[in-house]
Amino acid sequence: MRAVNLIPAAQRGSGGSAVGESQGAAYAILGVLAGLAVLAFLYGSARHQISSRRTQAATLTAQAQQAQAKATALAPYVSFAALREQRTQAVSQLVDSRFDWSHAFHELGRVLPPGVSLSSLDGTIGSAVAAAGAPASASATTAAAGATGSATPPGSVPTFTISGCATSQAEVALMLTRLRLIDGVGDVKLQSSTKGSSGSRGGGGGAGSSGSCATSAPVFTVQVAFQPLPSVQATSAAAVTSNASTAQSNGSGTAR
Amino acid sequence: MTGRDRIVVTVIGALAVLAAAWLLAVSPERKQAASLNAQVSAARAQLATAEGQLANARAAQQQYSAAYTSIVSLGKAVPASQEVPSLIYQLAQASNRKQVEFASIATTSGGGSSGSAAATAAASAASSGFSQMPFTFVFNGSFTDLYNLFQQLNRFTVRTSSGGLQVSGRLLTIQSTKLAPASSSEPAKGGATRLTGSVTATAYVLPASQGLTAGATPSSPTGAVASPVSSAAPQSPTTPAIVR
Repeated sequence: MRAVNLIPAAQRGSGGSAVGESQGAAYAILGVLAGLAVLAFLYGSARHQISSRRTQAATLTAQAQQAQAKATALAPYVSFAALREQRTQAVSQLVDSRFDWSHAFHELGRVLPPGVSLSSLDGTIGSAVAAAGAPASASATTAAAGATGSATPPGSVPTFTISGCATSQAEVALMLTRLRLIDGVGDVKLQSSTKGSSGSRGGGGGAGSSGSCATSAPVFTVQVAFQPLPSVQATSAAAVTSNASTAQSNGSGTAR
Repeated sequence: MTGRDRIVVTVIGALAVLAAAWLLAVSPERKQAASLNAQVSAARAQLATAEGQLANARAAQQQYSAAYTSIVSLGKAVPASQEVPSLIYQLAQASNRKQVEFASIATTSGGGSSGSAAATAAASAASSGFSQMPFTFVFNGSFTDLYNLFQQLNRFTVRTSSGGLQVSGRLLTIQSTKLAPASSSEPAKGGATRLTGSVTATAYVLPASQGLTAGATPSSPTGAVASPVSSAAPQSPTTPAIVR
């Protein structure tokens, strides 16, 4: 059976039946309209966003200004709190930078042999540079001294110069050994130990007091150098612990 | 013009219309919306900052009373003026408590009696800290009593276990001590040898520009009438400035 094309010959082969008479203009117009609709939606959405964001920004700015104004009004309180913090810190630094003389004396009294009498004890806190045997880090920490204005800045080396007499040179040697046991001692140096013949020396003033020394007892001078005073940061934690036991009595108050 | 050309022209025209609409209307609006988003973010950040500052300020306001108390308490350790009489009183009280004789006090610079110390104390100002007032004290007592006294002097201002400061007297930094047998032959208690202890110590004074409370009153940091330094803290020797 033979197929028959019923389409008129004029309209065959154009393939543009969908285009029709308008040559596709209708589709173009529809496409443009659809595109414009999308654009209109995007435009409207953007306009709405602009409007709401403007309102939001204005509200937030107003709230921020209000909060700022309130904060400004309360600024003196903040300044006062800062002053308190600054002052507390400064006093804390000064407290932490002190050398514990009483502890050093207590230790000295504890370690002195019974056969040793002291005639004088001279304790000073010298500069890190002048002190012999001070670690190199000591001079570096001295720079921090100006910040706190402490009379005993970090890096300073406490030194005891002890003079007295002993019952024998062996006692002097024992004393030198035991002085090294003092908490925080860095160096013990014997300056002299002379067995003389003149009378009336010593005075028995020390913790190991045993009265006046014999005429022939050796007279000595010893220098005890402690570890350089540590920086404030290092001492803060330690000071809290060591002074915990002292925080009592006297009806004293606490500044926090 | 063929049918295909017409279609191409029509499509190009449609695209041109859409592109023009995008470029002239939609795109600027979207850009503006984006910039407003940035503005909103900035405003939010500004608000957060302001609220943080306000919270800090409110906290400071709530703690003002405690801060004022602390400042006044610290004034006992580091007063705004030299306060030599109260220092002498504290030293005398401490030495009495430790059975040590408080023999003398002198300024390191010139040496004078306790009376002239107030007038002559040369305060060497530290660059950014407190002014220093060097003194030399002389005490007489036994070795044990003297080191107990040194402990007492340190305890005027100490750290607490919580990290705070406990202030019951003047902050002193002992720089040197010299112990030697006392010239008098009178023995100390318990028959111990009587020693003379010379102590070089430094007391501290607030910078003159600050004042004790920087013009604050117990009720407000911006008190209309700035409290005189001496009246802001209980500086009387008989009423120690101890506040918790």
